[in-house]
Amino acid sequence: MIKLSISQPLRCLTSAVLFLSWMFAPVHVVAGDATAGSDVFKTECSECHSVKQGRNKKGPSLFGIVGRPSGNLPDFNYSDAVRQDHWVWTAEKLHSYLSQPAKQTNPGTKMKYDGLTDPKQLDDLISYLSTIH
Amino acid sequence: MSFFLNRYAIRRPGSAHLWSMLALLLLLASGNAKAIPAYARQTGNACADCHSGAYGGGANGPALTPYGLRFKLNGYTETDGNGFKIPAAMQLVGSHAAPAQGNSTSELTEADLYLAGRVNDNVGGYVKIQAINTGNNTYNTQLSDVDLRFVAKDLKIGGQDATLGVTVNNNPGFDDPVNALPASTQNGPPTVSGTLLNPSSSNTLADRVIGASVYALYAKDWYGEIGTYNSLPTSAQDHLGRNVSGDPGKLSDTGYFRFAYMKDLKKQFYSVGIVGLTTKRQLPRNGPKEDVTDLGYDLTYQFLGTRENILQLSYTNILELRDYATRPASPVVAGLLAPAHGAVHDRTMSATYTFKQSYGIVVSHLVSTGTRDEIRYVPYGDPNTTSNLFSVFWVPFGKDDSFTSLANMKIAATWFRFTKFNGSSMNIFGAPPGAPVTNARDLNEFLISASVAF
Repeated sequence: MIKLSISQPLRCLTSAVLFLSWMFAPVHVVAGDATAGSDVFKTECSECHSVKQGRNKKGPSLFGIVGRPSGNLPDFNYSDAVRQDHWVWTAEKLHSYLSQPAKQTNPGTKMKYDGLTDPKQLDDLISYLSTIH
Repeated sequence: MSFFLNRYAIRRPGSAHLWSMLALLLLLASGNAKAIPAYARQTGNACADCHSGAYGGGANGPALTPYGLRFKLNGYTETDGNGFKIPAAMQLVGSHAAPAQGNSTSELTEADLYLAGRVNDNVGGYVKIQAINTGNNTYNTQLSDVDLRFVAKDLKIGGQDATLGVTVNNNPGFDDPVNALPASTQNGPPTVSGTLLNPSSSNTLADRVIGASVYALYAKDWYGEIGTYNSLPTSAQDHLGRNVSGDPGKLSDTGYFRFAYMKDLKKQFYSVGIVGLTTKRQLPRNGPKEDVTDLGYDLTYQFLGTRENILQLSYTNILELRDYATRPASPVVAGLLAPAHGAVHDRTMSATYTFKQSYGIVVSHLVSTGTRDEIRYVPYGDPNTTSNLFSVFWVPFGKDDSFTSLANMKIAATWFRFTKFNGSSMNIFGAPPGAPVTNARDLNEFLISASVAF
């Protein structure tokens, strides 16, 4: 009984924190329109990246990119810089990476991209990429 | 493309000669592919990434997207980094031609071998070897366009991105990245006296010269190129499958330049450019030198959007100034000599709309005019030739979601229409009363073609 009386408020507190975290999480994680993001992908990304699984172009396949560790496709020849990054492509990481020139974020990358400065397009794009898995 | 009348030989073309030239013109308008599956294999890209219509080639050249333009500027060297790919591809073109006059034909019109792709990160190229059906199922094998490049990429000059390169090619303007110059689009006006930069001209430089240019792309937008050319010896032209009667002559002091401003806005692209070619030419080779200078400008615009609906517009205007080496006398009026100077003017306006990069329509208006010259331009003293090209095509493959990226196919229907030839729409060869008359519209031709590349 004592245990319960302590853990219950803790559970409530945890739930509240998670709920508030979700409520006040950065807008870009949830605000995008995936359909519009598909068009952004066609304009901004599709020449160098495919969303087909196993289809690499000049850049690696973006199938399942959200949540994927960087540089982990076995059949793509990554730059040394990307091999050494050891980060995970979370929505937040993609948002930060794509909002500026790629070579600014990661000077050794082969990726030539000037960045997407329109925040709505960026949100839409990441929402679209989140659906590709 | 080839051409009808030799401006240096005052004569009327035989009908057979004229019809064969028209057939060749239509053939090239329909089947000249640039979407090389070897490039797709090398890069992992779909053909549609580089070409608005997923096959490329055809009635208005390769129709490069800005991405395709950069691939060309980068010396055809970009890759998916996934091992060595054989830099070769094949193309077969079959067609049914229905001229306004003469018999219809259905035949395998062209078989091509492309050696195209990268050697390493700095060296790549494009070489086309074509076997052209010359009738009765006999084929003439020719070296077509060549563009070999050395390129230094990812440079920084003054804090800006820069690319520097050298191209060795055999057709002035073929190496150009923008969809505008006649050698690049394969869509120069048919002409009785065209410019040096127009491969449809008689004694064209196209594929009969060899030259080198140094080029640079600065700050992603500014393109500059300076080079020179020399004509191949007639024996070499012969060995490469070219009839020596089309020899461009001996060239000296030849200079070529090209400058363009190009802006890639992702959903749109536009360019403004100027071009020049000057040479001293001896034709025949043991004859005196004449000065020939081409100066031109061009404008292009592309709406790309999401690639669902693509519109490409281009306008090219090239003026050629000639200081003739000789002044032939009139065979009719005693004491009348041909002018010592002259000018010709080639203009092409073209629009291409592509839906889903699979269905397309091309409309071109082509005009070639020149200063009046009663002696050189028989029978009317006016070389004005005006024509139109209408083409529709379907490309089922070549996109990201196509079931294969290893092969491609295109079916096209093309109508070539002449409204003026030799300065006239009626009796274009000046046939005397009672003799058969040829009107400009008699040169019209309709053609259906199927091309496969793998």
